[in-house]
Amino acid sequence: MVWIIVANVKKRKARLVMTVVGIAIGVATLFALLSLSAGMEGALDREIGGLGAQIILLPEGCPYELTLALMQGADTLEHIPEESLPRIRGVENVRSAVPAVVGRVKVNGQLTSLYGTTEDVLQIKTWGITEFTGAVVGSDVAEKLNLSRGQRITLDLYAQESLEVTKVLEAAGGRDDTFVFVPLAVAQKILGLGSSLSAVLVQVADIDETTQTRFALGRMADIQAVPPSEVFDTLMGLFGSVKQTLILITGIAIVAGILTTMNTMTMAVHERKKDIGILRAVGSTQRDVFGLFVWESLLVSLAGGALGIAMGYVASQFLPRTSGFGLEATPHFSLAYVGICILVAVAVGTVSAIYPAMVAARTQPIRTLREL
Amino acid sequence: MIVELQSVCKAYGQGEARFWAIRDADLTIRAGDFISIVGPSGSGKSTLLHLLGCLDKPTEGTVQIDGEPIDRLADRQLSLIRRNRIGFVFQQYYLNECMTALQNVLLPLELGKVKGRKEKAADALERVGLESKVKSYPSELSGGEQQRCAIARALANCPEIVLADEPTGCLDTETGGRIMDTLADLNEQRQIGIVVVTHDERVAAYAREQIQVCDGRIS
Repeated sequence: MVWIIVANVKKRKARLVMTVVGIAIGVATLFALLSLSAGMEGALDREIGGLGAQIILLPEGCPYELTLALMQGADTLEHIPEESLPRIRGVENVRSAVPAVVGRVKVNGQLTSLYGTTEDVLQIKTWGITEFTGAVVGSDVAEKLNLSRGQRITLDLYAQESLEVTKVLEAAGGRDDTFVFVPLAVAQKILGLGSSLSAVLVQVADIDETTQTRFALGRMADIQAVPPSEVFDTLMGLFGSVKQTLILITGIAIVAGILTTMNTMTMAVHERKKDIGILRAVGSTQRDVFGLFVWESLLVSLAGGALGIAMGYVASQFLPRTSGFGLEATPHFSLAYVGICILVAVAVGTVSAIYPAMVAARTQPIRTLREL
Repeated sequence: MIVELQSVCKAYGQGEARFWAIRDADLTIRAGDFISIVGPSGSGKSTLLHLLGCLDKPTEGTVQIDGEPIDRLADRQLSLIRRNRIGFVFQQYYLNECMTALQNVLLPLELGKVKGRKEKAADALERVGLESKVKSYPSELSGGEQQRCAIARALANCPEIVLADEPTGCLDTETGGRIMDTLADLNEQRQIGIVVVTHDERVAAYAREQIQVCDGRIS
């Protein structure tokens, strides 16, 4: 069967190329959308998971903006008083409460994200150290500022401090790579925050009691307790509206692909009327002719699908990495996306072939022969 | 195989524009017959051939295949009769230019998923003396070779009757003679019924029986 289709489409190479490219554009858009969405979801999941807390305590305000600020190392206008810490630690089921202040400061003259915390941070981060002193530097910062263990760095904003680099963290592919971690008091001094905190990261003793603990913490004045999963869902919901627009655009591209293929197949049926008439005269059934055009459309669509996947892969490599909420989303590729794209290509091929194939199958050989 | 036309009339058009292409035709064709249908242009020769080949249905009267009226048969059954029992040869050959001689012969068998199709197609080409041209495209074949290829396509599925509509109309006398020799050999050696529509008396002379058609009437 394939050789018949190849022989037939060979006659109209230019149109074949245009049809394949038409389908490929739709499939490429879909593939890029799928891989970028997954990349975005993965990045957000990684960042929120990287906070290492089951409950995040934030000052009153928009919890999502505050969480993002925390992840990105940006300072916030509202803060939690440090005096709240003992009360937080006193709430039942709280195993550890890690205070955090974040902000942008100059490190060796270059603007960098600063993360101030206490030794409690070692309970939620796996840095491979037993003592938190001096400056622990993320891998990206170390590379950018050419820092190594034992060097001294100068931190400067509202106050100036000089600290020794006690550890350069290994690259983890998360936000920690972009921070300089220093003791809480040093960070508060440099950022001019007094005894305020940007957030408190809480780990619970009994994970099943997280909800009750969260409500107990949330009842404290000027503090809101947010589970990271809720932040994740909300941010993904916001991304979802962007995604819906992209799906709409993809849908339009796919419909355009269907119409292009349908047009090509209708033209092919019209041009090959004589061939179809002869085929019917020498014994091809309506089903044979219908199958011939459906298979032809399917093969063309599959070629478009394969090209589209390749185009989508290449395109997603060149799209901006920062795709939303300041997150660096690396496109995620999976065989499932290849499968979805192939299925869409098959659907395009089938849907667009049905009408032209029906017209071809209904060709009455006698009418064609009389016109010859 | 017996194809029988009983009081067959065929009209085209409606109302005042109605035109009777065939009137009261009675004709019986059997496997092994060699019949030529002659007559002036527009006399109804091709219409008669189309009715015999189950490509068209009569306006009045009955066409029967082995005693079964064709108007009781579905489109698929008629297609299968054309595929398995009747072969068609056209004046203009109607070969697919993008397919080799073998592929052209194979095409209807491939679409019908006929068993042993490749061997059948190769045998048919060998029968018409084109075994050395299986990989040639129609543009690489002479007019006579193209018509032999078309005959091979008609023969590929071992039909009982071959219907040829002016098979030598586009060929010179010598090549036309060779094509008719091929059809005559098939009739003689394999008992394939041959019905040839022609203007050419030399072609008509190959047949054992000659039918005259004039103004839609058989005489």
